[in-house]
Amino acid sequence: MTYYITLFAAGFAGSFHCIGMCGGFACALGRDPHGHGSTVLRHLLYNAGRLTTYCFLGALAGALGQVICTPQGVTVSLLRGSLDAGQRLLAIAAGLLMIGMALQFFGLLQRFHHLAAGFGGSTFVLSLRSLLTARSRAAPLAFGVFNGFLPCPLVYAFVAEAASTAAAFPGFLTMAAFGLGTFPAMLMMGGVGRALAPAWRRRGVWLAGSYILLLGLITLGRGILPIAAHIGHAWPGEYPT
Amino acid sequence: MTAHAGVLCSHCLLHIGPRAMRRTLNGESCAFCCYGCCIAYQVKSGRNEEWEAAWLLIRLGVGGFLSMNIMLFSLLVYTGVDARMLPWIHVLLWAFATPAVVILGEPFLRETWCNITQGRLASSTLIVVSVSAAYLYSVVAVLERSTYVYFDTATMVLMLFTVGRYLEAAGRARAARDLEPLLAAESEYATVVSGRSETRRPVREVSAGILVRVRPGERIPVDGVVVEGESHTDEAVITGESRQVAKAAGSPVIAGSVNLDGPLLIQSSRAGTATRWAQICRSVRDALIRRSPTQRIADRVVGAFVPFVLILGGATALYWGQRLPFDRALLVGLAVLVVACPCAVGLAAPLATSLGIGRLARCGCLVRDPAALEALARARLLAFDKTGTLTSGRARVVAIESDGTAIDEVLARAAGLERHSEHGLAHAIGMTAAARGLEPVIARDVRTVPGRGILGNAKGQPVAAGNGALMHGLGWPLSQGLAELGRSMEARGHSVVYVGWGEQVHAVLSFDDTPLAEARTTIEALRGRGMRVTLLTGDLAQSAQRIAAAVGVRLGDIQAGLSPEAKLTALDRYRQRNEPAAMVGDGLNDALVLARADVGIAVGSATDLARETAAVVLPSHGLWLLPWVVDVARAVRLTIFTNLMWAFGYNLVALTLAVLGLLQPVLAAAVMAGSSILVVVNSLRLERLPDPLPSPMAERSSLDEQSVAHNVALAPVFERGRSTRSAE
Repeated sequence: MTYYITLFAAGFAGSFHCIGMCGGFACALGRDPHGHGSTVLRHLLYNAGRLTTYCFLGALAGALGQVICTPQGVTVSLLRGSLDAGQRLLAIAAGLLMIGMALQFFGLLQRFHHLAAGFGGSTFVLSLRSLLTARSRAAPLAFGVFNGFLPCPLVYAFVAEAASTAAAFPGFLTMAAFGLGTFPAMLMMGGVGRALAPAWRRRGVWLAGSYILLLGLITLGRGILPIAAHIGHAWPGEYPT
Repeated sequence: MTAHAGVLCSHCLLHIGPRAMRRTLNGESCAFCCYGCCIAYQVKSGRNEEWEAAWLLIRLGVGGFLSMNIMLFSLLVYTGVDARMLPWIHVLLWAFATPAVVILGEPFLRETWCNITQGRLASSTLIVVSVSAAYLYSVVAVLERSTYVYFDTATMVLMLFTVGRYLEAAGRARAARDLEPLLAAESEYATVVSGRSETRRPVREVSAGILVRVRPGERIPVDGVVVEGESHTDEAVITGESRQVAKAAGSPVIAGSVNLDGPLLIQSSRAGTATRWAQICRSVRDALIRRSPTQRIADRVVGAFVPFVLILGGATALYWGQRLPFDRALLVGLAVLVVACPCAVGLAAPLATSLGIGRLARCGCLVRDPAALEALARARLLAFDKTGTLTSGRARVVAIESDGTAIDEVLARAAGLERHSEHGLAHAIGMTAAARGLEPVIARDVRTVPGRGILGNAKGQPVAAGNGALMHGLGWPLSQGLAELGRSMEARGHSVVYVGWGEQVHAVLSFDDTPLAEARTTIEALRGRGMRVTLLTGDLAQSAQRIAAAVGVRLGDIQAGLSPEAKLTALDRYRQRNEPAAMVGDGLNDALVLARADVGIAVGSATDLARETAAVVLPSHGLWLLPWVVDVARAVRLTIFTNLMWAFGYNLVALTLAVLGLLQPVLAAAVMAGSSILVVVNSLRLERLPDPLPSPMAERSSLDEQSVAHNVALAPVFERGRSTRSAE
């Protein structure tokens, strides 16, 4: 459980980074003219859509990790204590990716940022604007679903983490914990608007970076260190089976 | 957009075909070739705030939400849940799946229904049948409280096909990028200046004499003359050469060229619909609408394929039904249906063809029919016309023989006289004198003798230049040697002009058509591509041989003195021996052969495109592009071939796996969506074909450039010159 709480916290810290892009969307979603209840519903739908996409991506990444780790296509119980070579490699890759993302939060590796955010997201974002103004009740939900797919380094980092769990269900849980972590900030953005001072946002970004860096180092450690079995036991051991 | 047959997809510019969808977006009526293009177009032009555009995206988003949730809950079921919870989860899945299937499946259902009403079975039928089978089975399973339901299969298959279609359409739109400027002529707007006001008007409403303003970066919408402003333009769409041409007040500009760096005020010289650009636009649209022969075969195969797969799917399910539980057997059958969906086959040829046509058109080479492109790729024989194709079609002084008088004096006197004439030969004399830096001797009292030559007075002496009859008529004596030289030159097919003054003939000038600078390298390049090159000409054998030797055509491959009918017979003979034969001409005096050859290629044709008979039209001075055109045609054919091989081969392998029960339906859907995307990616490789090599024209002297410019004005004179010669 500690593992998922850590992820939740990382998501919470990271969500201050989200405010830059997704927070803007949440603000744009704004208030519903039908009253307070409708506004809350709008934002809940939006976040539900986003969360679903994250969970789906997590399950997908986990399943992919499983395919990589078990090339024979035979389902192996991954939780037999020690980690096999495939999972170690996956953990190293995910760890490096997360460290890369984290460094970028501190303003380093800018080229990496362009690489991460340059998947033709801009035209996609543009088209999504039509959803923000649509009057349909379901529009925020659809918007949230698409929003989840938008290129975002934070999401990439956690998807990598999900892949390193090497099974669909823990992958799903990883992203679910992360997604729930981003919930409060995003809901708040919808409610309080642009109340957050820039200084706080910067602190939030640093906090998010530190968290992801730590997480990346631990994930990397799981892959490299000979004593990894301990850490491996400590965390994946708690995956519900 | 008049007839249904003549409509291109608003998004990818492919022919809309049987999967057509129509929507009204942003107040414009749009037609799409498929559901994927409909989505991709709305994603691309997302500026709209209209209900319908957003509605499609909302539906997709909600469909995605539902199907992702179904997937996640199914995952929960697979990892194991309490048996008491299971029926409730199944009901929940049912509740999610019903709207998801309705929302995501509706376009596929509509497509199937449209095709069935027209008596066809489209590939979407396979999706509809498999999804409804999985859904209906699961509903029954929920009601009977059995252990397994397959709502996730039903929705994921739909989701994957939808995403696959979207990605495929997005890829196809990239293929349309080259075509957009060419098709823009019909929808372009021009900024019309009248008095102090400026209004935007459709190009088709612009007539001759109207002032049009063109800002930097805009495309020049009409042919005309610059009235005000200085800039550079890029005329690649029309001339095939991408380089900057300086424009200032008085310079002519061509519709379709891009104004690069300065605002221009242009007075249009003809109607907006009469420009070459507009003609190109119509021609390209016509070509895109036609289906290539390969595609016709592929479509027929797909038509037979769908019922076959339906039967195969049913048979597979029945076979496995005897060995496995019913639900597992059903899944195997569904995997067969899903994996055999021949979406990629339908895409194999049109995409490659439209990319090829767009690529060629961007360099000024027009293809009227995809079939011509395929025939050119297979052709191993290229027959050339001589005059105007391998040669410049303009006379040039090739020899000056005198009775001992200095050549420069002959030229100076002749040039002084011929300045008063507009005859093609006169122009050639002036050019030669200018090239040698001679000052023409000023002639007075000049008069022309029609059909014979020109007379005048210079330095107090009568001067004359013309044919033998003129000299004979004047009674000027002609030395035996000069007369002999003149006769032998004429026998070799040269035009001859005698120059005399002081009541005596002093020199004889011979003229010939000159081979184009790029002809030799072009023919060598074609031969390097394994093509046999022949020369079919109506001219005399001697002159044909001289040109052939100059451009590198083998002596055995020349046939001279042919009438147009004889050229056709000669071509037919080659055709029987070889694969398709292509004929290259200038489109003026060989229109008949160009029309009847397997591939007629017109080079630098000045004729109206609408009346053009050739299947491929190269720009003026575009002979050097020919090897590249052949390369593109071959690359297109190879791409079509690999696409079909891939699509069919992939289908066959996947189908075998599915029949053997080794493929899950969801995986099969992913595989199928991936297959069409691979076809798109393979076709997009055509974009990376190298551009045509820089033309040798760039090396030509500025003098020659001027002569090109003059040639436009003097074209009728040369025509007359050529026809008199052939009459002789």
